[in-house]
Amino acid sequence: MRRQLLAIVAFLAAMALVPHLVGSEFWRNWVMMALFYALLGQAWNILGGYGGQFSFGHAAFFGTGAYCSAILHVHYGVNPWIALPAAGMAAGLVGAFIGFLSFRYGLRGSYFALVTLAFAEVLRILANTVPITGKGVGLLIPLDPGAANMQFADRTGYFYLILAFVGLALLLTLWLEHSRFGARLVAVRENEDAARALGVDVFRTKLAAITLSGALAGLGGSYYAQLFLYLDPGIAYGPAISVEALLVPIVGGMGTLFGPLLGSFALHGVSELAKLAFGEAAGLDLALYGVLLVLMVMFMPNGLFGMGRTTLARLLGGGRDA
Amino acid sequence: MSEVKRKKSISRRAFVAAAGGAALASGISGFPSIVRAQRGPVRVGILHPVTGPLAFSGNQARAGAMMAIETINEIGGIRSMGGAKLEPVLGDAQSKPDVGAAEVERMNEAGVSAIVGPFASGIALATTQAAAKHNIAHIVDVGVVDQVVTRGLANTFRFGPGLSKIVDTAIENLVAINDGAGKPARTVMIVHEESAFGTGMAKVLNEKLPGRGFQIIETISHANPTRDFNNIVLKIRAQRPDIVIPSNYYDEFVLFSRTMAQQKVRPKAIYAILGGAASSQRFVKEFPDAAQYIMDCNHWYDPRNPVAQELKKKVEAKGLYFTYELFLNHECVRLLAEALERAGTGDRAAVIQALASSGFANHFMPYGPTRFVNGQNQGAAPVNTQVQNREIQLIFPKEFASAKPVFPMPAA
Repeated sequence: MRRQLLAIVAFLAAMALVPHLVGSEFWRNWVMMALFYALLGQAWNILGGYGGQFSFGHAAFFGTGAYCSAILHVHYGVNPWIALPAAGMAAGLVGAFIGFLSFRYGLRGSYFALVTLAFAEVLRILANTVPITGKGVGLLIPLDPGAANMQFADRTGYFYLILAFVGLALLLTLWLEHSRFGARLVAVRENEDAARALGVDVFRTKLAAITLSGALAGLGGSYYAQLFLYLDPGIAYGPAISVEALLVPIVGGMGTLFGPLLGSFALHGVSELAKLAFGEAAGLDLALYGVLLVLMVMFMPNGLFGMGRTTLARLLGGGRDA
Repeated sequence: MSEVKRKKSISRRAFVAAAGGAALASGISGFPSIVRAQRGPVRVGILHPVTGPLAFSGNQARAGAMMAIETINEIGGIRSMGGAKLEPVLGDAQSKPDVGAAEVERMNEAGVSAIVGPFASGIALATTQAAAKHNIAHIVDVGVVDQVVTRGLANTFRFGPGLSKIVDTAIENLVAINDGAGKPARTVMIVHEESAFGTGMAKVLNEKLPGRGFQIIETISHANPTRDFNNIVLKIRAQRPDIVIPSNYYDEFVLFSRTMAQQKVRPKAIYAILGGAASSQRFVKEFPDAAQYIMDCNHWYDPRNPVAQELKKKVEAKGLYFTYELFLNHECVRLLAEALERAGTGDRAAVIQALASSGFANHFMPYGPTRFVNGQNQGAAPVNTQVQNREIQLIFPKEFASAKPVFPMPAA
């Protein structure tokens, strides 16, 4: 745990230097967005990676956090800093609600995945219908630059904010890895029936995981709303966010502390490489991105983190597997 | 326009000549001045959703901007800058606001003087804000949602009309068409896509149409994409409205009108507002029967303008369609070129200032000279078109009209 904690501190310290060392605003923005998707990936990782409950609808939590923050600010004049924890709580509650319904009736595997996907879609349709979300027109957060309004004049403020969220997510995951709750969660992932036989309250464990996961994704939603100052149902609850949230840990390494971080940087790096390779030919970069993604999943079933760990173990241990 | 400005701006004649042939164009544009003192290129960000659900519109928009850049460069570039060429820096917003904003960062790094794009309102809200941070002039090509220009961003200029203006004009013209035919239509059904522009349009129509003598029977929204319109059309068949008002993107509009034709549902009029395909040559060519007599209130060029006619031929010769995305972007780039001529520099602040004081009259849209107030071109207005015998005719306003409206729609 001590080494992992040191690694987290070292990573955060290195990242904190990025705004000062990287002159290019484009690359600073790139790192910032990679951190943003790492946060969503880490949220998914708690439920999917450690808990083995694959969600296809993390947009439900992200969108709830985003809308909660925006609605409180736009309609009720609540300061975004105060709205931020409310957004996390609202998304956590949505997670608890979906979890209660799904786990109460024993939904697992692809059934659970489909239910989460359906909930995200229901929320998207709801956001398209109810006036408080601005319906299809969306919600525009008034432009009022100032750190007090969580609208930073340049991206450095946004950078440190997302870095803080990622730090929080990493520490939370580190605690999870070494806590009794984390052990129960992993036991549920490995074999639910065996875990139950050992006295683990499977329902409560999974419910706590989806609540925690939802709350983290909700913080990401609130951050997105303050960064782009505009939300519509497609952005908030559309499938793009759900896909990004699950791709990042799958590529990086599910059920690992640094997997989502690695996955996010790798995926966005590949995306940039593809753009550099095919630059102005519309769509070719996305095709290359897709091919690379398939290759990564095919040849690195344990993700980048798993591959790195195996390779390191082989190098250090003379061929023994990790 | 003063004599000095007239000399500096790219003339209509020069533009026509360029479209006709580079040799003739080079003669008109003052080729020797380029040789004398040509400076480095002026980088221009061309940002559109060329992949994702809006790819068709995005690619059309990019093609229009690129054709304008080619022509401007052929006829001598920006003459006040020693014939500096426009150098496009292309960006793909992938139909996502956050990707659009990231592309603005890339364009900032590339040193663009201005950005043209990004077609969709949701993307425009993000990209204009990102560009404002770097003080980059952002000419919004379509992005009709009113909030695009009401947030006090000094860098944002919309050449075309906003949603409120479009819907108001559409209602006025609908009332005029109905009154002119003896008021045969009283009931309306609205079918709109569910994002910002379709929903915003439906909201305004619901507020205003009842006061103008129309009863709205039902308003139906649909997702993007939607591939099956049978249930919606069955509802229309059951309710038998006099007028159906669709407002959606290209694919959905085509599928909706085809389903209407297949199910032989013929109201007195299909009156689109920003109908994705209603004013599209491609739709008319591919589905002439479904397109026949559809009216649309949309962006459209002045059909009498020779530059527009030349461009249309050039576009069709390339195998492309002369759609509003294409010609609006073409003219947005020309608007920018005219501002660069007056600014005499690619400096971002100077470009913003030049655009803010723009009186560009040489374009082929039926707007009159540009005059920006809070970033909105005051003269910008939509027109009404109708498909008549495989041709898109302009039916309103009368001063630009090429045909009279056919209303009510004749029985099949």
